[in-house]
Amino acid sequence: MRRIESHIDTNAADYKANFAAMSERLKEFHARQHAARFERPQRDIDRLARQNKLGVRERLKLLLDPGTPFLEFSTLAACREYDGAVPGAAVVTGIGIVQGREVAIHANDASVKGGAWYPHTVKKIVRLLDVALENHLPVVHICDSAGGFLPLQHGVFPDRYLGGRVFRNQVKLSQANIPQIAIVGGHCTAGGAYVPTLSDYNIIIEGTGAIFLGGPPLVKAATGEEVGVQELGGAVMHTSVSGTGDYRAATEQHAFALAREIVSQWKRMPKTIIETAAFEDPYYDPKELYGIIPKDRKTQFDMREVLARIVDGSRFHEYQPDYGTTMVCGFAHIWGFKVGILANNGVLFNDSSLKAAHFMQLCNQNRTPLVFFQNITGYMVGREYEERGIAKDGAKMLMAQGGSVVPKFTVIANASYGAGNYGMCGRAWDARTLFMWPQAEIGVMGADQAANTMADVKIRQLEREGKQLTEVEIAAIRDPVLEKFRRDVEAYTSTSELWDDGILDPADTRNALGMSISAALNAPIDDPHYGIFRL
Amino acid sequence: MRRIFMIAGHEAECWLTHDGSRFVLNMPDGAVPCQLVPAGAPGAYVLRTGGRAHELRLAVGPESTFIHLNGRTFEVGRVDPDDRLGGREGTAGGDRLLAPMPGVVVSVAVKPGDAVTEGQPLLVIESMKLETTLTAPRDGVVAEMPFTAGDSFGLKAVLAQLTPQEE
Repeated sequence: MRRIESHIDTNAADYKANFAAMSERLKEFHARQHAARFERPQRDIDRLARQNKLGVRERLKLLLDPGTPFLEFSTLAACREYDGAVPGAAVVTGIGIVQGREVAIHANDASVKGGAWYPHTVKKIVRLLDVALENHLPVVHICDSAGGFLPLQHGVFPDRYLGGRVFRNQVKLSQANIPQIAIVGGHCTAGGAYVPTLSDYNIIIEGTGAIFLGGPPLVKAATGEEVGVQELGGAVMHTSVSGTGDYRAATEQHAFALAREIVSQWKRMPKTIIETAAFEDPYYDPKELYGIIPKDRKTQFDMREVLARIVDGSRFHEYQPDYGTTMVCGFAHIWGFKVGILANNGVLFNDSSLKAAHFMQLCNQNRTPLVFFQNITGYMVGREYEERGIAKDGAKMLMAQGGSVVPKFTVIANASYGAGNYGMCGRAWDARTLFMWPQAEIGVMGADQAANTMADVKIRQLEREGKQLTEVEIAAIRDPVLEKFRRDVEAYTSTSELWDDGILDPADTRNALGMSISAALNAPIDDPHYGIFRL
Repeated sequence: MRRIFMIAGHEAECWLTHDGSRFVLNMPDGAVPCQLVPAGAPGAYVLRTGGRAHELRLAVGPESTFIHLNGRTFEVGRVDPDDRLGGREGTAGGDRLLAPMPGVVVSVAVKPGDAVTEGQPLLVIESMKLETTLTAPRDGVVAEMPFTAGDSFGLKAVLAQLTPQEE
């Protein structure tokens, strides 16, 4: 496979300006990520110490194989909600390695509001369990939660993808023969009691762990019975009397040693076999991505330069290099895994949409996973293109993309606007993992376009009422909308709302994709089948 | 198709096969049975071929392999047949730069009479929320730049014209 020949000049002024701008963004991103992971008010740290509990990061260290990577999802979830007071949505999720096996991990962070479930907490846990279901990954639950956050119970409890979905997904995992283990390192109250009880195995830590449908205060209110935590739902009672718990652990360290031993009893299922090649680092330095991604989102750049800093050996076999050139398609390897890549080099036209649809069918036919690199401002509009059937050709691309049976992975590298987001496997289209770069933007249309559209509607409405607006009055309508939209399209809004699985430092993209692909191969790949293509 | 190697500046075509007991190196002018045996020290091997044994040392790099044999060093590089046979460059660019889509001119970087080199930015256009820099398709001299900043244009409008190339 040929190496991509880079035309980037690392001494050019543009490159240096871009590099400086991205470095600045990444400094902020890494600082925010560090804060979400480690910075807590002293009283919360003291409370955990007083309760004789380890923090969630120490627990992960005890659980995971030393020196192995942990692919953490949505570290900055809820960063724009609850006044920023619920870092990471009070839960850590990700894919890690335990006794050589890839597992999905759901761990409550009791240093944030006692590990209470906020609306975004539930969304993050449900997403993790979806990841486990789609990729057939065993799940390790580390339970330590105060329960649903009552003031926001409507956002936690009733709807299809809220609290109940956590337990429903646990049932579906079990049905699919995917094992689960729960380590109870705090209270599991009410609904939370079903996390360990729906797991195949559970361990309760003596002294700190407890499981009950109603805690002591609720029992007293309901029936008048006075009972202590340990008698009601402690490790000794559950492992010797009720059979609700399987193992009791003397300490946290003991609990995680036991958990690792249990995981190592699980049968290792054979992975799906796809084409692979010997592992090769990219020929071009991934850090050069910082200088390639323009500091102004609107500036066009060549996605091949990006791919050259992601794929093995910077080697890329480009498909139809001279047709539909705004859509770059081709084969490459990531961590040795053969993948089919679709990357935007501009707006989607009729020819580029058809090329994408055809290429995805090729990849499904030979069971090659798909990787999407989005920099898409939309499908082309205008009379000429409507006459050529742009909506019909876009539909073909959606039919091929949505009907794909191979695992899909998406990186929102820059712009993700309008239907282009759909065609390029946006969140609604079941990418196994979807990551965003920190400068990327996502929205139904650009902030300027949205603000102008909304201002126009308002102006015409007022004109019908006989009012003429001055420039100042128009600006007064447009500017607040513009400001709100600019914030709404930012990557931090997306990641706060869990529209993605996290923001990535571009230089880490290759590793995140490698882990995602490796995890995806735990699930089998179906035979290709599609709906009806509007020809 | 045989593999193409560049050995000490000369192109050589060959293909390695195995006949069940030993390797055979197939070249345009015949086939040679051979055997490469590790000789203990890192990179040290003995090559047995034609009833003789040659001691050699191999150093494998990302781009090429270096072979030290009989007091000389040979660099062996692999040539991509796609590169060698297809050529990396396409045909020379044309004289005209056509609009890839309707849009508005943001800025113009050159004027008629300017000498430009292939890949040099000629103008920046904006369409569909995206600024695209259009570059010279080949080396040449600018004949015409029909649009200025702020002008809008249609699909396939001529955005730049180079003076025709003389044969």
